[in-house]
Amino acid sequence: MIIRFLQRHREASVALIIVLLFAILGLVDRSYLSLDTVLLVYGNSLILFVLAIGATMVMATHGLDVSVGSIMGLAAVSAGLLMNAGWSIPAAIGVALLVGLLCGLINGALVSWLKVSAIVATLGTLGLYRGLVHLLSGGSWIEDLPEGFKALTKAGSLGLSVFAWLVLVLLIVAHFGLRYTAFGRSMFAVGDNRDGARLIGIRVDEVQIAAYGLNGVLAALAGVIFASQIGFIPNTAGTGMEMRAIASSVLGGVSLLGGTGTVLGAALGAYFMTSIDSILVLLRLQAYWNDIIAGAILLVVLITDGKIREAVDRLLRYQKYRKFIEPPAAGHQADATKAGLSLKTSEARK
Amino acid sequence: MKLHPALKRWESVLALLLVAEILLFGAINPVFLQPSMLLYATSDFIHIGITALALTLVIITGGIDLSLGSVMGLSAITLGILWVGGVDIWVAAVASLAVGTLAGVFNAVAIHLSKVNPLVITLGTGFLFGGAALVLSGLAGATGYEGISNFDPAFVNLANLEVLGLPLPLALFLVLTVAFMALLHRTRFGRYVYLIGQNPRAAAYAGTPVFRTLVVAYALTGLMAALSGLILASYFGSARSDFGATALMPAITAVVLGGTSIYGGSGTILGTALAALLVGYLQTGLQLVGVSSHVSSALSGGLLVIVVALRSLTEMGRVWVQHRRVLRNVAAE
Amino acid sequence: MAGSSPSDQRPLLVEARQIWKFFGAIAVLRGVDLTLRAGEVHALLGGNGAGKSTLMKMIAGLYRLDRGELLVGGADASVLTPVTARQAGIHLVPQEPMLFPSLSVEENVLMHVPGNRKELRARLETMIAEIGAGMTLSTQAGQLEVADQQMVEILRGLVRDARILILDEPTSALTPREVGKLFGRIRALTAQGVGIFFISHKLGEIRAIADTVSILRDGQVVLAGPPAAFTDAEIVAAMTHVEGREDFTLGRAAAPATVGPERLRVEGLAGEGFADVTFSLHSGEILGLAGVVGSGRTELAETIYGIRPAARGRVLIDGKPLAGHGPRDSLDAGIVYLPEDRQVSGLFVNAPLVWNASALVLHREGEWLPLEKERADFAEQVKLLGIVCASPDQPVRTLSGGNQQKVLLAKCLAAGPRVLILDEPTRGVDVAVRADIYRLIDRLAGEGLAILLISSDHEEIERLSHRVLVMNHGYPGGLLQGADITINAIARLSFGVGANRDAAQ
Repeated sequence: MIIRFLQRHREASVALIIVLLFAILGLVDRSYLSLDTVLLVYGNSLILFVLAIGATMVMATHGLDVSVGSIMGLAAVSAGLLMNAGWSIPAAIGVALLVGLLCGLINGALVSWLKVSAIVATLGTLGLYRGLVHLLSGGSWIEDLPEGFKALTKAGSLGLSVFAWLVLVLLIVAHFGLRYTAFGRSMFAVGDNRDGARLIGIRVDEVQIAAYGLNGVLAALAGVIFASQIGFIPNTAGTGMEMRAIASSVLGGVSLLGGTGTVLGAALGAYFMTSIDSILVLLRLQAYWNDIIAGAILLVVLITDGKIREAVDRLLRYQKYRKFIEPPAAGHQADATKAGLSLKTSEARK
Repeated sequence: MKLHPALKRWESVLALLLVAEILLFGAINPVFLQPSMLLYATSDFIHIGITALALTLVIITGGIDLSLGSVMGLSAITLGILWVGGVDIWVAAVASLAVGTLAGVFNAVAIHLSKVNPLVITLGTGFLFGGAALVLSGLAGATGYEGISNFDPAFVNLANLEVLGLPLPLALFLVLTVAFMALLHRTRFGRYVYLIGQNPRAAAYAGTPVFRTLVVAYALTGLMAALSGLILASYFGSARSDFGATALMPAITAVVLGGTSIYGGSGTILGTALAALLVGYLQTGLQLVGVSSHVSSALSGGLLVIVVALRSLTEMGRVWVQHRRVLRNVAAE
Repeated sequence: MAGSSPSDQRPLLVEARQIWKFFGAIAVLRGVDLTLRAGEVHALLGGNGAGKSTLMKMIAGLYRLDRGELLVGGADASVLTPVTARQAGIHLVPQEPMLFPSLSVEENVLMHVPGNRKELRARLETMIAEIGAGMTLSTQAGQLEVADQQMVEILRGLVRDARILILDEPTSALTPREVGKLFGRIRALTAQGVGIFFISHKLGEIRAIADTVSILRDGQVVLAGPPAAFTDAEIVAAMTHVEGREDFTLGRAAAPATVGPERLRVEGLAGEGFADVTFSLHSGEILGLAGVVGSGRTELAETIYGIRPAARGRVLIDGKPLAGHGPRDSLDAGIVYLPEDRQVSGLFVNAPLVWNASALVLHREGEWLPLEKERADFAEQVKLLGIVCASPDQPVRTLSGGNQQKVLLAKCLAAGPRVLILDEPTRGVDVAVRADIYRLIDRLAGEGLAILLISSDHEEIERLSHRVLVMNHGYPGGLLQGADITINAIARLSFGVGANRDAAQ
């Protein structure tokens, strides 16, 4: 049963490990699981949540996007410049999201149409988009963002900000959208078996490009949230976030080989990555312990997950070949003789 | 030797591009053509080339190492901590190189044990090694831009030493290029590197020592990253944990631009070395003609995308043209 | 059975006129004409590389035709894509199942099918029950046996109400009982007006199910009509170049002139997919290992070679157990394995020929590559095996299938084997190369090599082997010797039919 479950839900083993960690931390310190802490960590995780949704989609199609940090920066700078030029907040955000969409579509086109490997293509655009950030901003920080914009990440109803509500809705929509809509399923199909997906009539190139496009939009949204949260836009906005986004998704059981993963898992991973800060406080450690703990947990989860999968595979192999491998060989011919033998021995016993 | 196939090689294209680039920048700003300028400009980027040489091996095996930037920082900090702790600078340097090598071995073992994609594993070890560097420098109270400094002057002078008229880091790079060329193209280990990257399954069927080969490839990458960390520490006269933060992407760029397939199985050391110089001089040249360093890094990103996309397109075009020719011949029959 | 004739009034579903297709510079289809009517089973027959699969993939929209006309339901379909092919009601069941291994049976079948989930699921459940396939909707596709995976592929077509069903060798992994069930299903479908293309290598099946048969050879239709109109001999003659075949007719393999000492001994070996295997192999002997796909032949060979773990039993070479158990140990002991899929586990297709040829012997030289010796050795092999190539540095992928296979043989022979395990040594090679390989195998045995020959081609086994071990569902189904080695006997034992009677004779 458990084997079956783990086999069907690859993300489950990772989720289990994470939940276990949460439980232990909760036992050490009750306040870790208190609503206040959860809300605080949730608020700090918004950017990573949004990026993790995008990473899950791209990775589901057996893709990878390391340019999301630069897209974040580019979108934030676009929105900031427009707002400071007097555009309305929604219009500026809309343009920023369009910029993200365009960046994502370029990534997708490079990977799908021009057949450039995902890491190389997005590595190139990582530099390219970051350069555009500097060109647009003229090398200086963008400050004095409108108060109305900053208010979007200030706690509002039920202790959650506007963006926090939006992200919550996004998480739910993305989680169920990926699992239960035709488009969501086709992304997994493309990542699982590209030729097979083509055979059953899925437009694999278009699906993949769409996944990169959506990822671009989400990265742009993350950039906007980032700008709203800190109130100004440095040129380095978003730098290094790609690695955290990928790490969150991987931590949440999304496979880089495509075809498996859930948004819920990736969100758990993102939440966990962010909550390391709270853990540090709990363990009374300095902030510079953050990365080493993140790395160690990531590796422990990965290697444990790898070992679990290996054990599951071995067991399934054993079950598949059991009749050949088990010491008393039980085949149709051997069966007959063995049945005869056991009959004789049982008679002899009588 | 026939000229034609040699000219068709990617390395020849890179060499021509390199010459054209230097002449172009020289035409805009003659300062660029001064030998001392050309030689000493390399000190800003040669550490990337040195790491890229070893990374080429890893990528040819079909793997990747995202942790090399962190290893650079870790090795520099190890040096600093030991130096502050009173250890002789040369002993400390050897210890730093050992730490880098061990980090590489750790990567290979983790990849082998978990059977997880090298990209993911080295993403994790990247956090781990980078985090270790942060913790070490934090414990030593050396945070921020200061890092650990006041090294033995003999060590700091290394980066400015000249060997046969070349700055030491550049000379080291040239020697290492030759050594890695011999290793990859002339030894059994190098052949195994290619075979594993081409077809890991066929390599296993042929009794190739896959694990041992991977350990050596990743260990060499760790060693070269550590060496780069030391070069930077000597060049800047201080050791910081974030030394390698910006080195990873340019190193991968140099390898891929150098003609190595990111899927493994093909590539050359010479290509990587030339591409490292090409990208490095592009940055230097652009800064010299007044482009900000951030925009110049964007242009090298653009260069990577364009070159790889063009290579992909020419391949598609070649197939298409061949196809058309065949169809025409049939129609003519 | 309704025969197809020119006066047939049933509507035309597919009409192909003078179809050409090129891969690179090689013409795979050379002016093929073909039709399929509603309710018709149209069988396609032909050797490896005759163009059957290419033709079918084209009708499914996976390849685009280069010249000619393709009509589906009377409308032009020259620029068919997988999407439009699907809309036209075409469904291809590929030879190798193309499922999504991490998804369930239900998700695999219903993926991309419009309509009400619940209804579809209910229909699917009835279909599975009708076919009697041993799977549930929630089974993960990657965990299914190949035969069941093939069933899932067929279910995909059924659920989609395909009007044109293409079955590419659907029976290769099925047991006779399953084949019977499949045929029942096919008859039910044709009664509803579905047209079916049926690719098979088995004449018996074609006679049982097909209304029409077209035989392809070298990309052309060389014979077409109702199967009853031709004798077996006529069909076989059409499939094979009679002129070419004459060259290498070896007749029956003679008993080895001298049976040498025992080289390989396998005692009670069991492993992943086989058990209770015991045999010995002598110097100068060719032992055929026959059986259907999935009968444990390849698993047995890979276990002997050390790629797969053995559960029980021993492998002895020259009377001594193997020192360790890995490919390297086997190679050092003189056991060399030629894998069945040269692209996947045999060759480094993007590497130079000379690298491939030396891959098994590198560890016997020093740390530095013996570049000169490597080339000299390869040049010798080129002469010995008649490899047609322009340069030792060209990548393997630029060679024809037959020459690739020769390079693989060169790689194996370079290791200086004492026991050579050949797994499908002539798969996907043309007639001339097949002749070369047969002669080579014969000569190697004559020189005292002990050869274990695995093949799905019963004719190949019959011609070359001195003794034949037939595997049946993972167990030894019988051993044939001398005059008992006939194609029929091999086939009967493979399916476990009349095994006892044969043994009694």
